[in-house]
Amino acid sequence: MKSRLVRASAITAAAALGLGLASCSAGGDAEGVTTISFLSWTGEEQMQPVLDAFAEDHPEVKLEVSYAPPVAEYIQTLQTRVLSGTAPDVFLIAAENKTNLIDAGAVVDLSDEPFMEGVQEFNLDTYGRDGAQYGLSLSSWAAGYAYNEEMLAEVGYDAIPETWDEFLELLQALEDAGHTPFLESVDQMPTTVSAMIGAKSSGMDPSLDEQIFSGASTFEDEWSDVLEQYDRLYTEGLVSSDVVALDGDQVRDEFANERVAIINAGPWIINAVTEANPELQFSFAPVPGIEGGKPFQAGAASPGYAINAKSDEAKQEAAKTFLTWLASPEGVELFNQQTNDVTVTESFTPEVNPIFEPMVAPIRDGQLYLPMISWQRDEDVLNVEAVAQMQRMIQGQIEPEDVAAALDAKLSD
Amino acid sequence: MRVPVWRRTTLSVVMIALALIMAVPLYYIVVNTFKTQAEMVASPLALPQQWTFENWGSTLADPGIYQSFGNTLYITVLGVLLQLLVGAMAAYAMLITSSRLARFAAAAMLLGFMIPGQSTLIPLYRTLVGLSLVDNLNGLVLMYLGGSIFCFFLIQGYMRTIPYEVIEAARVDGAGTFQVFWRIVLPLIRPILITVGVFQTMWVWNDFLLPTVFLSTPAKKTVVLEVYSAVSEFTTDWPAFMTVTVIALIPMVIFFVFTQRHIVSGLLAGSVKG
Amino acid sequence: MTSQLATRPAPPAGSVSAKPVTRRRSVEGGWKQIALNRAFLLPAVVVFVFLFIIPLAQSLYWSLTDFTGYSTEANFVGLANYAAIMADPSMLAGLSFTLVFAVGSTLVTTLIAIPLAVQLNKAFAGRSFVRSLWFFPAVPSMAILGLVWGYILSPLPSGVFNTLLNDWFGIDAISWLSDNTLAQGSVILVGVWAQTGWHAVLYVAYLQSIPAEYYEVAKIDGASSRQQFFGITLPLLTPAIVISTFLLLTAGLKVYELPFTLTGGGPGFTTYTITQSIVVSGVGQGRYGLASALAVLFTIAVAVIGFSQLKVASAIGKRFS
Repeated sequence: MKSRLVRASAITAAAALGLGLASCSAGGDAEGVTTISFLSWTGEEQMQPVLDAFAEDHPEVKLEVSYAPPVAEYIQTLQTRVLSGTAPDVFLIAAENKTNLIDAGAVVDLSDEPFMEGVQEFNLDTYGRDGAQYGLSLSSWAAGYAYNEEMLAEVGYDAIPETWDEFLELLQALEDAGHTPFLESVDQMPTTVSAMIGAKSSGMDPSLDEQIFSGASTFEDEWSDVLEQYDRLYTEGLVSSDVVALDGDQVRDEFANERVAIINAGPWIINAVTEANPELQFSFAPVPGIEGGKPFQAGAASPGYAINAKSDEAKQEAAKTFLTWLASPEGVELFNQQTNDVTVTESFTPEVNPIFEPMVAPIRDGQLYLPMISWQRDEDVLNVEAVAQMQRMIQGQIEPEDVAAALDAKLSD
Repeated sequence: MRVPVWRRTTLSVVMIALALIMAVPLYYIVVNTFKTQAEMVASPLALPQQWTFENWGSTLADPGIYQSFGNTLYITVLGVLLQLLVGAMAAYAMLITSSRLARFAAAAMLLGFMIPGQSTLIPLYRTLVGLSLVDNLNGLVLMYLGGSIFCFFLIQGYMRTIPYEVIEAARVDGAGTFQVFWRIVLPLIRPILITVGVFQTMWVWNDFLLPTVFLSTPAKKTVVLEVYSAVSEFTTDWPAFMTVTVIALIPMVIFFVFTQRHIVSGLLAGSVKG
Repeated sequence: MTSQLATRPAPPAGSVSAKPVTRRRSVEGGWKQIALNRAFLLPAVVVFVFLFIIPLAQSLYWSLTDFTGYSTEANFVGLANYAAIMADPSMLAGLSFTLVFAVGSTLVTTLIAIPLAVQLNKAFAGRSFVRSLWFFPAVPSMAILGLVWGYILSPLPSGVFNTLLNDWFGIDAISWLSDNTLAQGSVILVGVWAQTGWHAVLYVAYLQSIPAEYYEVAKIDGASSRQQFFGITLPLLTPAIVISTFLLLTAGLKVYELPFTLTGGGPGFTTYTITQSIVVSGVGQGRYGLASALAVLFTIAVAVIGFSQLKVASAIGKRFS
């Protein structure tokens, strides 16, 4: 009786929409065709045209695609599947999972593959370790400041100054003119801090994080001065401590509605802002440098295409065919068109919105820094700690050195 | 009992006003499905200056959404019916048995409420891989059987209202245990079955965690996964996100309004109509 | 037959441990019958073991290892994970807000839901409409509600709430989500908003099981409506209160999505929850052993709180009925 009830309801459910529930199982491949599975990071709408073009060029490789929204859900889904031996043949290696994937031996070393040539070294090294490279990262993103040209002109500036002191003067001038000078979302690692640490690290050898993680230096030694400079935004009353509760979309909306002069932002705000306020004249600039530093940008290599080390040889070969095509000028061009990402291969020059032009050269040169990606272990635990402690600093509950000290304490756990 | 008209009117006005305040977020969601992203950024709360139906059009034009509706319907109907059956059977066992073991089992099952779902994900996934039920709608239905513990908890309390004589009488007439359950007990507890069924339907229909992890083929997507296709790494297409949300909600709203009477009479032991 | 049921008020449904009436024993016949009776419990037991006990045992095992969640290799580390949890101040922060949220949202929801249910139980024009609106917040996903409330409670002067306060009362912008206390209060407020209608519906159902004669007799005796509420309504609602508060409390202890989408656990760690710790360390950081230890401790804590709540509530319930 149970089964009849169940069957009946299942049939009703299916019949109601006139759908068959037969699932397409991955049966045997046709002669000469290899089927590989792929878990896409990029959403279906943007990725499908790219995959269609690949299918046309390579009928001998059949892709079974699935999607998971980035970041948390993607990482969770991939983790569960890797552990259970059902990982896709091609997936994305990202900042959040690279250490674990490499440690577990789950990804193939791609450093000798021809398709890796001509890709910006910074991107390949991001997803590598000890000379091996595990991810084909084709693009990067960068964030700096977006500014309202008209408001800046009102107080006599035509661009963001290059030093932090001058920048704070600008903010003061904007404040005096009756504008909200600056908003930065602090629900994540602040763009300003990433860029300042990045500027510092780019002049060091070995790099700042190598020194911290090898024990030669500490967060307190390296981060305190940057945090102190950053904290001036709040101690000097230029920015409200309310920023601790703002996310990027809210900050963007304030900017689009001309309620703030300068915000932290990346290229992803351009479309929404220009659509919402076509008259708004705005531009991008890197984060000003503190004393002894230089203007720099927060950013990172986008997640890289990786091949599952547990897949059999035929599938790995087919996966390489797919990656070779993705890295080809044709594949990169299509990817750039679909996603507007700034791609970093030599053989293709990406088309970028002119507003974002000031940031393109640093991206293609790999002049980017994001602590979470550069850190060598416990990335997530440190990031959560850093954001929470910086929020407390902004609220005036602790001092900048305390933030750095808390990071040292976390690292030594 | 006569309540004066003015008091009833006042009650109406006050209650409707309160409910409307409660519903501001609902208004926010619905009104923004008729705006472009730009207009939502410029004035999130205002009525659209120009009603756009583009979000609705593009969502409904995608054949994938109908497939997803089919999948969700299948999982929800099958999942909830099985939960109710398993829960009701266990509650019935508690009714007709007095063993300590059974009572201990019933109390122990409350643990099911206490284990955080996030921590059972990986073990469950591995088990389903072993059973070849991953990326399979029936595998997902199996996962949702966890809800039968909730059903059991609510149903077993209600079952005590069944007069024992009814079961006894059926017994004397020669009905077997199973027949008593199917023909006598289930119809008597139909109200609670509907009440719990509504609660569980809301959960299964809206669940996001299990489908993301357990389903990978696009053809097997559920509606809630469609909602999240508007989310990308740095930004979200909120009007699209909200449109799919509203579309996914409509069946639930109809379902709620339709079953509302039963929810109310569901937990009531019948005293009013007596 | 149904009319026979009519005059019985519902017994305390939540009291699982209440002893069954002895006469029920006579239903059990020979051993075959007993086996058959037990068979009805079997599917639920299978589900329970398969979906809850085995994963819990698995977590218990992993909590004693350095399992990363990526490779099946795991080394035994004893109680090191448990020690690490005890030593970590952010975990403690998670614990404190989890408790504040669970208790706060349970109390406030209950205090609003009961009077609301009493009103919703009366006849008035537009009642179905009002009930549906109250019920609505329980339906959409928390991700979208978190976003919407983020705009409403935005600490900026352009936030919806702040705009209204300023327009109507000339009040300056209030830091709803960026002040520690207000942020905690806001998360609880949204939690209450989301659950109250749902629980009011539950209470409405139980209200209808109270025989109308009780009220008529009380009226003849000259009881005020306030006396009626405390003398009749509230005591007869105890079974519903037991169930509703149990559900609220266990759900509150397990809360994850709401603070995560509304405040991300901030400012600082003020709205950080235990479940967020489990997810962050298990998924994001590949410290699955640690996350498992946290899950085990957490399950024990919820079990202790949940069972005591049931015991206490049933005891109170019995005194009234």
